[in-house]
Amino acid sequence: MIFNVKHTTKYEYNAPVIYCHNIATLRPRESKGQQLLDYKIQITPQPAEISERIDYFGNYITRFSIQTEHIELKVTTKSKIVRDYAQFQDSFFSEVCRGITLDQTLLALRSTDPDILDARQYILESIFIGRADNNIRDYAEVSFKRNRSVFDAAFELMQRIYTDFQFVSGFTSISTPVAEVMKEKKGVCQDFAQIAIACIRSVGLPARYVSGYIETVPPKGKEKLVGADASHAWFSIFIPGFGWVDFDPTNNLIPMDQHIVVGWGRDYYDVPPLKGVVYGSGKSKLKVAVDIQAAM
Amino acid sequence: MPITSTSWLSNYITEYKNDEMFTPQNGVKPYWNKLLTEFDKLGYDGLMARQRDIDWLLSENGVTYNVYNDPQGMHRPWNLNVVPFLLRQAEWKTVENGLKQRAQLLNLVLKDIYGEGNLIKNGIVPHEVIHGHRGFLRQCSGIEYSTEKFLSIYAADLSRGTDGRLWVVNDRAEAPSGMGYALENRSTTNRILPEIYAKMNVKRLSGFFKEFNQMLVDASPIKKDNPNIAILTPGSHNETYFEHAYLSSFLGYPLVQGNDLVVRDGFVWMKSLKGLKQIDVILRRVDDAFTDPLELREDSQLGVAGLLDVVRRKNVSIINPVGSGVIENPGLIPFMPAIARYLLNEDLILPQIASWWCGQEQERKFVLNNLSQLVIKRIDRTNRESIHFAEFMTTQQLNDLKREIELTPYRFVAQEKISFSTAPNLVDGTIESRNLVTRTFCIASNNDYSVMPGGLVRVAPDRETIRVSNQRGGTSKDFWVLEDGPVKEDITRHWQKRSSLAASGLNDLPSLTAENLYWAGRYVGRTLVNARFLRMVMRQMALVQNKNEKPDSVKLQVLFKAVTHLTGTYPGFAEKSPDGKMAMEDPMQEMLSVILDKDRPGSLAHNLAMFGNSYYSIRNLWSSDMWRVFENIQKIWQSFEEGQDRSINKILKVLNQLITRLIAFMGLIEESILVQQGLLLYFIGLQLEQSMLTITKCRSLLTIKYEEQVEYDLLEYLLTSHESLNIYRYSYRSHIQLEHLLDLVVLDLEYPRSLTFMLNRIQKDIARLPHSRKDNNLSNYQKYVFDAFSKLRLAESSNLVKTKSETDYFREDLDELLENLSELLYRTSQSISSTYFNHTDKQNQLVTQSFPF
Repeated sequence: MIFNVKHTTKYEYNAPVIYCHNIATLRPRESKGQQLLDYKIQITPQPAEISERIDYFGNYITRFSIQTEHIELKVTTKSKIVRDYAQFQDSFFSEVCRGITLDQTLLALRSTDPDILDARQYILESIFIGRADNNIRDYAEVSFKRNRSVFDAAFELMQRIYTDFQFVSGFTSISTPVAEVMKEKKGVCQDFAQIAIACIRSVGLPARYVSGYIETVPPKGKEKLVGADASHAWFSIFIPGFGWVDFDPTNNLIPMDQHIVVGWGRDYYDVPPLKGVVYGSGKSKLKVAVDIQAAM
Repeated sequence: MPITSTSWLSNYITEYKNDEMFTPQNGVKPYWNKLLTEFDKLGYDGLMARQRDIDWLLSENGVTYNVYNDPQGMHRPWNLNVVPFLLRQAEWKTVENGLKQRAQLLNLVLKDIYGEGNLIKNGIVPHEVIHGHRGFLRQCSGIEYSTEKFLSIYAADLSRGTDGRLWVVNDRAEAPSGMGYALENRSTTNRILPEIYAKMNVKRLSGFFKEFNQMLVDASPIKKDNPNIAILTPGSHNETYFEHAYLSSFLGYPLVQGNDLVVRDGFVWMKSLKGLKQIDVILRRVDDAFTDPLELREDSQLGVAGLLDVVRRKNVSIINPVGSGVIENPGLIPFMPAIARYLLNEDLILPQIASWWCGQEQERKFVLNNLSQLVIKRIDRTNRESIHFAEFMTTQQLNDLKREIELTPYRFVAQEKISFSTAPNLVDGTIESRNLVTRTFCIASNNDYSVMPGGLVRVAPDRETIRVSNQRGGTSKDFWVLEDGPVKEDITRHWQKRSSLAASGLNDLPSLTAENLYWAGRYVGRTLVNARFLRMVMRQMALVQNKNEKPDSVKLQVLFKAVTHLTGTYPGFAEKSPDGKMAMEDPMQEMLSVILDKDRPGSLAHNLAMFGNSYYSIRNLWSSDMWRVFENIQKIWQSFEEGQDRSINKILKVLNQLITRLIAFMGLIEESILVQQGLLLYFIGLQLEQSMLTITKCRSLLTIKYEEQVEYDLLEYLLTSHESLNIYRYSYRSHIQLEHLLDLVVLDLEYPRSLTFMLNRIQKDIARLPHSRKDNNLSNYQKYVFDAFSKLRLAESSNLVKTKSETDYFREDLDELLENLSELLYRTSQSISSTYFNHTDKQNQLVTQSFPF
């Protein structure tokens, strides 16, 4: 599948901003079964400087600063992406992926093989996902058993989050701690992803946070609304001998072609779509619109 | 009991095996004996006197150490013990080599951590020791530096173990403190013990600081003779702020806060009075995570947004680079021998404490089984508060700790509990033994590292305490490295100052410094004028009536209202308070509040506190005489606050003392700071404040016409509070008349206390500011002052005294003039602030997020 993604972020300020420095993680990275054909970023007002680099996790980071006074900041990206991930669907259910138990996995993780060494970082605490409390531990241990397949456990964890948690937007913010989301069992996609990550890490396994987009499919017979698509987030678990496997707890499925990867890190903190430091005295209002069109 | 030639040791209780003074055979080491013999010459009283001299000198110089949340308040005096710590050159040589090796090694470790990661890849260091450390900043990985070494400054805490060798206890690399205190300690002992210092052949520190300066110059990404160097401090509340200010004045580099710097076009700039000035090198005392709110801690107000990217572009050097905190890491200790072999193919010269990293299974088992015998630290929190001395813990605490370790073992390191050496210390008149820790310093120098021949020695507060830290009290010592023969005096002690930034004057004054000077001037002026006015009112209260009575005389009521207007402590005497009470009912109570209530903006106490704040934040500019007077002001006020006596006489006495000290202080400012250092800003602030208050005073006392006797008294009061009564009498030799008073206090062009004179002076002073115009057009603030000055020049006192008619009581012309002047001066102040101190652009996050730890 080839997609055209248009992602617009707009900040409206109620008082002039004198200047600002920003970081965007918006350019889709190279990832399994996905290729970036074309990418453009457009920023108004015109940035005084803009540069791009690859960060520690391999994501594209765009840094820019605006030095002219403004009351609105608009960042628009247009990406053209080939997504051909469904082809791997069968491999997840293969013996290599499903066959390894928790105990075997923990043993395999002791190796200093470069892939495993890299994956081990995602076992440790991260900025937004601190050490798991008992609630999280208990929740994880329902699915993760010593002699059970890690893949099966992760699959079940995803299903349980999907069933037990209620999707409520506006209830949480990016600052809401994982422990609180666990208690309230409400949140949005990034909360669900982070809950899963916290659970997986609590049993000693590597899990990472994936930030991206999802194409929404309109109800039968209806036109798709422009901007109805969304930024999305899910999690990925590392299975030694196989690699990373993505799960989407918000939609209760293993991502296929409707998911588009932008970047990944230890949690949301590592891959916020847009952040910045703004000099001015006012407050801001945020509008985000994502539009995904399947191209011919 | 060892035999010594001196009587100093009669009360000396120590473990002889591990005391700095004794040989393994319990004899006193010859160089310590030499010191004690010198003490003999001084005698008991002599030595005590020297200690008192030291205490006095340190307090004179305002050497302080801030303790957070200290009930004794901020700015606790720094303690230095008269007994130095001694080490012979022969032993020092080994230590020096060991420190150089360790600096070299940690430099390579740091490069590897943020570079190729070979130590982890090759299994030399477990990845959790690095990746699980809060100080490992992924944002810094892959950055290339223009300096040859990653680690420019390295500090190590050393203690002597039972084997008689000096051991490394802590590594410090993020923003090591102590160098300035070591220097201050040296200059103090050097002054107080000159003869002993000379006889003991003490190695000099000056060469080291010269190299330190060179290191900063060499760090500039673009090689130039005069790179612009700045010292970045978190501000005057930081525990070691004294040192930041001290190094700033010693090295001659501006002391800046995050707010003073800005990132534009890929460079770092300092906001100065003139405009932006590019900075090449930043010696920073702000912690890693706080240095850049864009990429690191979003909630930091101490850093500079975008700084890390400027580093990445090699357009600025930060000393030490952001991210170096990761090697303040006791988790590395167990692996250091292997690292040394891997990277340098050498064995470690300096021993370290036996340490077990709990991330390894066997080690963890050992630690959990022997917990009560060990000292437990987190790999990334090495401050004293986070160290667990298991032997002092209850069973419950130990179990909690065990659980913590089991949950995240990689975070913990256990270390052998060892008793470090003691050294003699003068305590309450006797010499007693105390545990100590020595902080030593290395800096990058050419291809190697240079080590400060000395360091900062910190001493435990009592014999029982083994934790040594300034945060917990205790004292410090000078560290003398002793040569066998006489020491050559370093003649290049005062090296050529090469910084262009330091010397080039007003234009380059950091705008925050300028702002603080301006406010120091305004607060000094405000405090003085208010104190004088309050004194005059108090005197009248004492004369006219019983102090708690409701005032029956009109003139007192006018004075009380003037107090409220002058201090701005509304509603005060001027209006009804929200709860319906009238201050007039109990004037003494209101007056006490206006004087003493430090939470009430406008009160004398509040002004003093504000004055103190602006003073502390620019203390690198003040002289030691000023410090003394300032301290004195604080003491007078403090003892007044703490005392019970609230009688009018007591208040008058305190006000008198305060006024005298303030005047002394103002005199000192004028002779201690250069105009290009910012004195001009102080003057502008002072004159503006005094002018504004003169206007308010005149408006509240003179614009209403009262009955003759009342009016006469009010005129006299005004002259008294303005310290102009004598001059009036001298000039007019007559009954006091409003017209003459206006001539003198408001319109006189020659009299320094007159409004016209002050505005004329402001006019001249502001013309020297960098953005003032010398051509045909004036800048805004110049226009306002010119306007005000002209209004005064055009006014005539004979008209100003008039009311509309004989029966009318309102002097409309006078009031209108004063109102206009007041408005113009207010605008002047606003315009100066927005032109020069524009810190109003508040730093906000685009997406508000709190940092979870």
